Amino acid sequence: MHRKKVHMLALVSGIMAGGFLLSSTASAAEAGATAAMLANTCAGCHGTDGISGGPAMPTIAGLPANYLKTIMGEFKDGTRPSTIMGRLAKGYTTEEIALISDFFSKKKWANAQSHANSKNATAIDAAQAAKGGKVVADAKCDKCHEDDGVFQDEDTPRVAGQWLDYLIFKMQDYKNTALKVPQEKKMETAMEKLTLEDLIAVSHFYASKK
Amino acid sequence: MSMLNRRSFVKLSGAAALVGLSATTVSRTGFAADKGKVVVIGGGYGGAIAAKYIRMADQGIDVTLIEQNTHYYSCPLSNWVVAGFRDIEVQKWGYEGLKKHGIKVVHEQATEIDPATKTVTTKGGTKFKYDRLIVSPGVNFKPMEGYDAEAMEKMPHAWNAGPQTVLLHKQLSEMRDGDPFIMVAPTDPFRCPPGPYERASLVAHYLMKNKPKSKVIILDPKDKFSKMGLFTAGWTKLYGYGTDKSKIEWIPGGEGGKVTRVDAKTMTVYTEMAEFKSSCINIIPPQKANAIAEMAKLTDESGWCPINFDTFESKIHKDIHVIGDASAATGLPKSGYAANSEAKVCAAAIVALLNGQKPGEPSYVNTCYSMLSPTYGISVAAVYKLQEGKIKEVGGGLSAADASDAVRQQEALYNESWYQSIMADTFS
Ligand SMILES: Cc1cc2nc3c(=O)[nH]c(=O)nc-3n(C[C@H](O)[C@H](O)[C@H](O)COP(=O)(O)OP(=O)(O)OC[C@H]3O[C@@H](n4cnc5c(N)ncnc54)[C@H](O)[C@@H]3O)c2cc1C
Ligand code: HEC
Ligand code: HEC
Repeated sequence: MHRKKVHMLALVSGIMAGGFLLSSTASAAEAGATAAMLANTCAGCHGTDGISGGPAMPTIAGLPANYLKTIMGEFKDGTRPSTIMGRLAKGYTTEEIALISDFFSKKKWANAQSHANSKNATAIDAAQAAKGGKVVADAKCDKCHEDDGVFQDEDTPRVAGQWLDYLIFKMQDYKNTALKVPQEKKMETAMEKLTLEDLIAVSHFYASKK
Repeated sequence: MSMLNRRSFVKLSGAAALVGLSATTVSRTGFAADKGKVVVIGGGYGGAIAAKYIRMADQGIDVTLIEQNTHYYSCPLSNWVVAGFRDIEVQKWGYEGLKKHGIKVVHEQATEIDPATKTVTTKGGTKFKYDRLIVSPGVNFKPMEGYDAEAMEKMPHAWNAGPQTVLLHKQLSEMRDGDPFIMVAPTDPFRCPPGPYERASLVAHYLMKNKPKSKVIILDPKDKFSKMGLFTAGWTKLYGYGTDKSKIEWIPGGEGGKVTRVDAKTMTVYTEMAEFKSSCINIIPPQKANAIAEMAKLTDESGWCPINFDTFESKIHKDIHVIGDASAATGLPKSGYAANSEAKVCAAAIVALLNGQKPGEPSYVNTCYSMLSPTYGISVAAVYKLQEGKIKEVGGGLSAADASDAVRQQEALYNESWYQSIMADTFS
């Protein structure tokens, strides 16, 4: 099944390249690693099938394939700041990233849930979550992150039930304007008006939604 | 490469069925296991993952995991326990999760492997037949003058996690203020290349708070070490490295760091030119593949097990695969992440072979996070491919040398997060 996909991809890129060298592209792709082989290398950090053990590693299971592809592409070309993904993403070709993205998009999302051995997670605070709910309503984040952040589409990731410490890290990154985190223009405008304290409250809000 | 086509497979399982009739053979199963039997020796970072990923890919394969201990203590993050800011209990994991995948977990010590009859025997005398055997037993120590079992209780290695880790922390906390914490580092290659230097960092952090007159002295046979630039830059920032007030002193091989013998009775270590005494000494001896690999003659003169990089099948014995620290996977470091990655390559190859298919192309990853203080993390990460018969890095690198404090702090929590994810990957 994966093999067929690779063929299709190779076909598309072959056509885009003007149709020549089609056969050599196809055979190179055929020799490549399978989607599972590639995607399972991510599990050491993102957990089996992309369900993270937290507290800060994001769960990527079930996120839209196009979203994953875009983000991985931005890690790879350096436009999206990261502590480690930029280094790793450079190790995969665009075709491999497509296979991996497809693999994780077919897995089922699971809300963050700590193991008993995990002691370093920030606990979700009800008062903060309530405040965050108001911030989100005022800033109209739900224009895109509908249903309290449960919604996702090809461009928008689910944020509800994501790991709290990951969301807090992302908010720190958004507020650190020197990092230039790529984002939707409307989101950027909304973000600019909020303080880091507001956004930490928003993190508690989204993390508390399941 | 040894490939199993359907016909030879039928022959194999026929033979297995015959031997299966003999009285001592166990591992009879309630599960459909018509595609063959896999036995795994060692339920750590390598073995547990191999067992689980075979079952995830193909429920028709019968998998038995032979692990000598009822619980596993993780080495990764155990340096935090040594330095007193983590409880050993959160390093402890059990095997219940693996059983849910239909893996038969047997808590016995494997003492013999017979490649001719394809049988593993345990200390208790139980025999296990296999079509494919995976060996992931970790490391053992090479001899070092004066460092015997008794000396280990006075000068702990803490290079297998558990009681040794707790013992080293106890000695550190009871050490006289003003005594040096002496660490004897090993020669290459060894388990966890950045591990000794992470430990030195975290002990220095502990000393700053608890033994202000003490410092760490690393006696090293080597002249350089993993992530050296990032470590020494961090030490300069955090521990005054390079000044006469430094909390860490590193004595490389070229400057007399090579230890020739140790004496646990007088708590002394001897180098070629000097002797060092302390009430707290940590010896990390040179290493080799663990005993069972050596006994089964899976090792070569290097002390490690030569394997094919696409299947991890031994170059010495057919149908036996060696993964993790014990294997000579040249190009990959001896780390928990590499063991996890090797296990998945090996598992996929075995599933293919037992289904009469050719193993696919491998993909490997390694990451090692290290802590310089509880809030200062660094990492090395890379993706590898098999190219021209060699495991080659195709992307990756170190944390940025000029990273901000915020990034170091994020990486510190990502280290804990990596641990939670990889442990869940391994044991649930
Ligand atoms: C202080 C320290 C810190 C580290 N930190 C990191 C880190 O941050 N990141 C990282 O990636 N790696 C780290 N490592 C390295 C990591 O621990 C090893 O690379 C990893 O454990 C290797 O896995 P393995 O399966 O080869 O061996 P192990 O995990 O040691 O597993 C071997 C298992 O086999 C069992 N066994 C052995 N012989 C037999 C037998 N005859 N019969 C039955 N069972 C047997 C053992 O009981 C054990 O459970 C660290 C190591 C140390 C010492
Ligand atoms: C060494 C651990 C590690 C490995 C291995 C790893 N990741 Fe990540 N991943 C992270 C961290 C940490 C982040 C947060 C961003 C950062 O700081 O790098 C992240 C972030 C991500 C994100 C962004 C999540 C979001 O919601 O936007 C995606 C997507 C992702 N990783 C995919 C992958 C894929 C696919 C692989 C395997 C090819 C992989 N990662 C391997 C550690 C890892
Ligand atoms: C115009 C649509 C839009 C609006 C409005 C919007 N977002 Fe987003 N958001 C996105 C998209 C698309 C992404 C993913 C791609 C990206 O990061 O640019 C995203 C990503 C995120 C992420 C990162 C998730 C991850 O896993 O890395 C967070 C957190 C987030 N948004 C929070 C908010 C908050 C808080 C608001 C309101 C202040 C908001 N967004 C408003 C579209 C929007």
